[in-house]
Amino acid sequence: MLKRNQLVLGNKTLRDVTNDICEPIERIPSKGWMGLFLAAKGLFIFYILTIAVVISTGMGLLGVNHPVAWGTMIITFVFWVGIGHAGTLISAILFLFRQKWRTSVARTAEAMTVFAVMTAGIFPLIHTGRPWFDFWLFPYPNQRGPLWVNFRSPLLWDVFAISTYATVSTVFWFVGMIPDLATVRDRAKNFWRQRIYGVLSLGWKGTAKNWSHFEMIYLILAGLSTPLVLSVHTIVSFDFAVSGLPGWHTTIFPPYFVAGAIFSGFAMVITLMTLVRIGFPKFKDYITIDHMEVMNKIIMMTGLMVGYAYGAEFLIAWYSGNIYEQYVFFVSRAFGPYAWSYWIMICCNVVIPQIFWFKKFRRSIPVMFVVSIFVNIGMWFERFVITVTSLHRDFLPSNWGQYAWSMYDTAILIGSFGMFFTIFLLYLRVFPAISIAEIKPVLGVGRDDHEHGGGH
Amino acid sequence: MSINNDANEQRPKSTEVKIERDRNFWKSFDELYDTPEYKKAVETEFMSSPLRDEFKDEGTSGFARREFLKLMGASVALTTAAGCIRRPVQKIVPYVKQPEEVTVGVANYYTSSYFDGQEGFGLLVKSREGRPIHIEGNPSYPLNGSAVSVRAQASLLSLYDPARLQKPFRNLFNEKRTNKETVGVTWEDLDTKVVAQLQKGSVAVLTGNIVSPATNAVIGDFCSGFKAEQYSWEPLAYGDTVEARYDKAKVIVSIDADFLGSWGSAITSNRQFANGRRDPSQMSRLISFESTYSLTGANADIRHRIKPSQQLDVVLGLISLVSGGSTQVHETLGISAEAFQKVAEDLKNNRSKSIVVAGGVQTQTVDAENLQIAVDHLNSILGNHGNTIGARSNMKASYQSLNSLIKAMNQGSVKTLIIYRQNPLYTLSKSFGFHEALNKVEMVVYVGDVMDETASFSHYVATDNHSLETWSDSEFSRGLYGIHQPLIRTMYDTRSFQLSLMTWAYMAKVGPARIQNYETFYDYLRAFIKSDIAPKYAKGQDFETFWNQLLQQGFVGQVGSLVSKATSGSISNIKKSSKSANMELVMYAKSHIGDGTLANIGWLQELPDPVSKIVWDNYASISLKAAEKLKLKQNDVVELTVGDVTLKLPIHIQPGLHDEVVAVAVGYGRTKAGEVGNGIGVNAYPLAQVGQNGQPILAGQNVEIKKTGKKYELVTTQGHDSMEGRQIVVQATNKDFQKSKEANIHRHHVWSIWSGHQYNGHKWGMSIDLNTCTGCSACMTACQSENNIHVVGKKYVMQGREMHWIRIDRYYVGSPETAQAVFQPITCQHCDNAPCEVVCPVAATVHSNEGLNEMIYNRCVGTRYCSNNCPYKVRRFNWFNYAKLIQSPTHMSLNPEVTVRTRGVMEKCSFCVQRIKVAKQKATQENRLLKDGDVKTACEVACPTQAIVFGDLNDEKSRVAQIFTNEKRAYTLLEEWYAKPAVRYLSKIRNNDEVTAPKGAGHA
Repeated sequence: MLKRNQLVLGNKTLRDVTNDICEPIERIPSKGWMGLFLAAKGLFIFYILTIAVVISTGMGLLGVNHPVAWGTMIITFVFWVGIGHAGTLISAILFLFRQKWRTSVARTAEAMTVFAVMTAGIFPLIHTGRPWFDFWLFPYPNQRGPLWVNFRSPLLWDVFAISTYATVSTVFWFVGMIPDLATVRDRAKNFWRQRIYGVLSLGWKGTAKNWSHFEMIYLILAGLSTPLVLSVHTIVSFDFAVSGLPGWHTTIFPPYFVAGAIFSGFAMVITLMTLVRIGFPKFKDYITIDHMEVMNKIIMMTGLMVGYAYGAEFLIAWYSGNIYEQYVFFVSRAFGPYAWSYWIMICCNVVIPQIFWFKKFRRSIPVMFVVSIFVNIGMWFERFVITVTSLHRDFLPSNWGQYAWSMYDTAILIGSFGMFFTIFLLYLRVFPAISIAEIKPVLGVGRDDHEHGGGH
Repeated sequence: MSINNDANEQRPKSTEVKIERDRNFWKSFDELYDTPEYKKAVETEFMSSPLRDEFKDEGTSGFARREFLKLMGASVALTTAAGCIRRPVQKIVPYVKQPEEVTVGVANYYTSSYFDGQEGFGLLVKSREGRPIHIEGNPSYPLNGSAVSVRAQASLLSLYDPARLQKPFRNLFNEKRTNKETVGVTWEDLDTKVVAQLQKGSVAVLTGNIVSPATNAVIGDFCSGFKAEQYSWEPLAYGDTVEARYDKAKVIVSIDADFLGSWGSAITSNRQFANGRRDPSQMSRLISFESTYSLTGANADIRHRIKPSQQLDVVLGLISLVSGGSTQVHETLGISAEAFQKVAEDLKNNRSKSIVVAGGVQTQTVDAENLQIAVDHLNSILGNHGNTIGARSNMKASYQSLNSLIKAMNQGSVKTLIIYRQNPLYTLSKSFGFHEALNKVEMVVYVGDVMDETASFSHYVATDNHSLETWSDSEFSRGLYGIHQPLIRTMYDTRSFQLSLMTWAYMAKVGPARIQNYETFYDYLRAFIKSDIAPKYAKGQDFETFWNQLLQQGFVGQVGSLVSKATSGSISNIKKSSKSANMELVMYAKSHIGDGTLANIGWLQELPDPVSKIVWDNYASISLKAAEKLKLKQNDVVELTVGDVTLKLPIHIQPGLHDEVVAVAVGYGRTKAGEVGNGIGVNAYPLAQVGQNGQPILAGQNVEIKKTGKKYELVTTQGHDSMEGRQIVVQATNKDFQKSKEANIHRHHVWSIWSGHQYNGHKWGMSIDLNTCTGCSACMTACQSENNIHVVGKKYVMQGREMHWIRIDRYYVGSPETAQAVFQPITCQHCDNAPCEVVCPVAATVHSNEGLNEMIYNRCVGTRYCSNNCPYKVRRFNWFNYAKLIQSPTHMSLNPEVTVRTRGVMEKCSFCVQRIKVAKQKATQENRLLKDGDVKTACEVACPTQAIVFGDLNDEKSRVAQIFTNEKRAYTLLEEWYAKPAVRYLSKIRNNDEVTAPKGAGHA
């Protein structure tokens, strides 16, 4: 039988594992962390101010206009929702498939999901013309007749999809963390630390009964999360696909969006993991090159799927015989005024990931870091291409126009990274970034092959 | 479930409710015997609900008791609740003395009139609680009907313009007559000083065209009293002494006469022109030779581009062909011999049924006078005089008059100059020497209402009333006498021009008795009508009856028959003096900006030019070939040099322009128009030169173009000029139309698994005839005025944020050299399968049971998804809080029947739902059903060509239903998208005897 590489390097004992993983949250933060945190926090505050100005003055500050009524906020919303997908895929689907390599990246990927969905969730709320009435988007009993929301609108489905996803992935993430939080609590030497982690660990005692319940609930939540991985981005894609706009009205959108989401999500995981490996060198033993390579393979595969979708859109546009759709794909996307964004997208998403055909590059940290950044850029541009190039030239040529990009668009886009990284950096300092409870079973401690150093 | 189940019962099915009664106890015999009357009474007792079907109640005026109690209870409850919420207290005060004719909440309409120096209209002005808020044409008025020009409608805003002067002023000058300071004065002060000066003698009065007989009488009395001289002049006056009947002509040849846009009585001409073309099987033909790209050229069946210096050649060539000779003119024109011959043939075949016109600023070349002589001659050999074309006698303004004034001023024979609403210091180029001459005048008195370029160089400004504050009268056409009623009492301490003259005459004790005796111009006017007008028109009625009839109807008499125009010279003496230049300048006026007087009105500045669709600017238009030759691109700033005057202007590449022509619009670059109009565009008047006889030369001058290397962003509302082969505006030729009435319309097979909405009451629909639509844009301003649509300014139009609910799309067809323009007004299509309704998450845009796509502003949260999903992109979003920017007193122009939208909500055409409601209320009050024509949308009313027809599709006899069922030219826009619009377009027919080549591969 094929011998697999060790999932955890460095001949760790169980005690080493606990020490290594708990160390970042128990020591004084390093200068590197402080620097990154201050930068991210500054950006986050800038982001909050920008949003405040936009809400108090009007959406007109951004480049959205007639005909391009959706812009940076919706693009970046879809971008962040997409990022979130890899986390749930790793923690839920790979769990159900008993992929043991997932254990060391699952926690952080899942955290990334929660934070990405938080970052994304802000956008639909602030992109409306009157954000103070956003609560009207929720169906609640009221005295206006009662006046209900329009259940036919994909935007409403979005409200449900995103809120469900946010809730389930947060619960899943938190529940998975309970045994580790108990570990932190038990190691705590400080009164408040003990209290806080004590409350968070929900009275975990580590009894067999505890473990039995835990495994059960974790399995159920994994089962619940799995369809969400597919449904959320499917419904996000409905925002576009259900409308009648050429370039949006495409049946391929749900799978295409899901593949794109996983693609971008894994790229973000790679970006973050390389950073974590640099920031916490000890984690290199847990998040090994093997882990990274597996994820790079997924990136390459989903990249090909996305590339296939790009091609299929052209095929269908041609096959449909619809002149408006043909115009969008054959003229305005590839050769119109926004052709540059289209070709950035193709380059970053389809061409560059092909480098992972070579094992050498798949296993090179600098290469994969650069590729993952390109994929992130490419996936943002994919949403830009879908949103802007479809809207800017539709049915009646007299309406055609351009997106009026302003400095507020830039501020919103950059600022959202400030929010994400602020939360993510705090997470690294507060919660065990790798699941202690899940790593220990894959160590092989106490197994035959561990002692004898050979397989059968 | 704790939710009240009753609340879900939206529609009480009152007619189906069976009320079980106890027969043992009865209150009346009716009840006992259960008579039909009693049954009915019981039914209706529970019938009223605010959610009831509106249509059902139409025609029954009874006020349901329960409804009344319910509403009253609700309003009391609301008042109580409102008291608990902290809101700024804004007290409203009811009328202390309720005016007899005002019912709060109900609009009054008054007849009046409007004159802009060239064209006059009979008006019907809508007034709410004493404020004029919307200007329409007087429907029974013989000239314009309900139509009015963009400018006439926009003059409403000038009433509420913050820049309007509010009292008389005095300008203080130093020795050199510069360095001035403006101080306010009292009328007493001004009058004393002015009268003292007037008594010195040598008085001159400079006016524009005046079509008011009473005003002319006042001026006449004043002039006779003070021995004054009257001069009349209009900057754009030229060749407009023509009165043509375009509806009676079969062939119209226009040589740079923009009779559909900026020249003469454009709205009346549009109306007549459309009447001559309404039936495509016998429509007239318009052939245009032009050096700009005007609305007239855009609507021409056959359009030839020429240089200004070739205008005379064209007419002379036609004269020789029509009179049987031959010509080589077509070679210099670059037109094929056949094409030119065809024009002559068309004219020859339609003797006495054709019109040849030339005029407007574009024809003010060196040869301008000869051109008129030649055109007169051509018309006379065609026998058109008196049949289709005649003289217009009330247009007296001329440059000769102005020149004699300048001469008189230079000779020192003018001590006092009274200028009435003319702005020579802006509209005259330096070469006329007006400013120098003005400095020799002891006292200049300006009568107007803005401290404009000329007013600020006058000693006294006797601030005039706004036209809507003044009594007056009008005689736009011989035999048609109209009244001009004021709509509002003077808002400020101003005095009408007429009363100023009367006051001065009275104080100096000069002039006939009537100018001294009457205390107000109203009294003068009444006396004048009694003595001068009533005898002609009253037909034996007593004066009060006649007066009331005049006020109610707005006019008396009718348009007189045409008076043959006297030929102004002999054709044999014509010698062409102009030389063709390499690059010729042609100035023109835009149909909405005109001479620039109304430049401070945002509606006008933001109204796209009908052809170029550019807003907020003027520019130098050149053809694509010329641009390539000069290596120029759109928005490149160039230096135009004519003689010793140089102007910097951005370049606009205009398809269909002659390759050796630069066209520049006048009326821009005002420096003292007010906050809105100052510094918009560049003043092109300085490029005008003075000819040998003192005549102005605004076209045909040699112009040098130099690239500056700078860029200036011109802003257009039209994203793309080509239809990209899509079926948007369907155009066919008369030959195609003869073959098939639905020529070139590709019908789509569409089907649905859903049966669609049911409309049991009304179903509103609209048809727009692209064949009669000339693109004049009157509908856009009408909509803007009716629906409180904001002006956003150049910067935001550039970002695609203009707010017009109805827009006119203009596409070019053909090559850049011969580009034809087609127009298409687009409003909300009120689709039956409206894509916007499905995607709104909060149900803020919903379908009414009458087929209206209704926008609920206060429910809208502004996701803008509806706009994305609208294939016609007719929705407009409030990106900022525009309402906050409305300055006082401009807010008084707002229509109280239409919500002023707040920031963050979507808005769009509502098919003037407020008008539908008013019409329904009226019908209910009169106890009848709505009939066709009761509801007219603002755009429909304003349209001079009656291209827009609105009505009830469920009423088989309505005009719109007839068009929908019978008109073969009707098609829906983007039919294959199956949104099922309630708007249909009728295809455009070009009467050019060509045959459209069949399209290659059709699309599905």
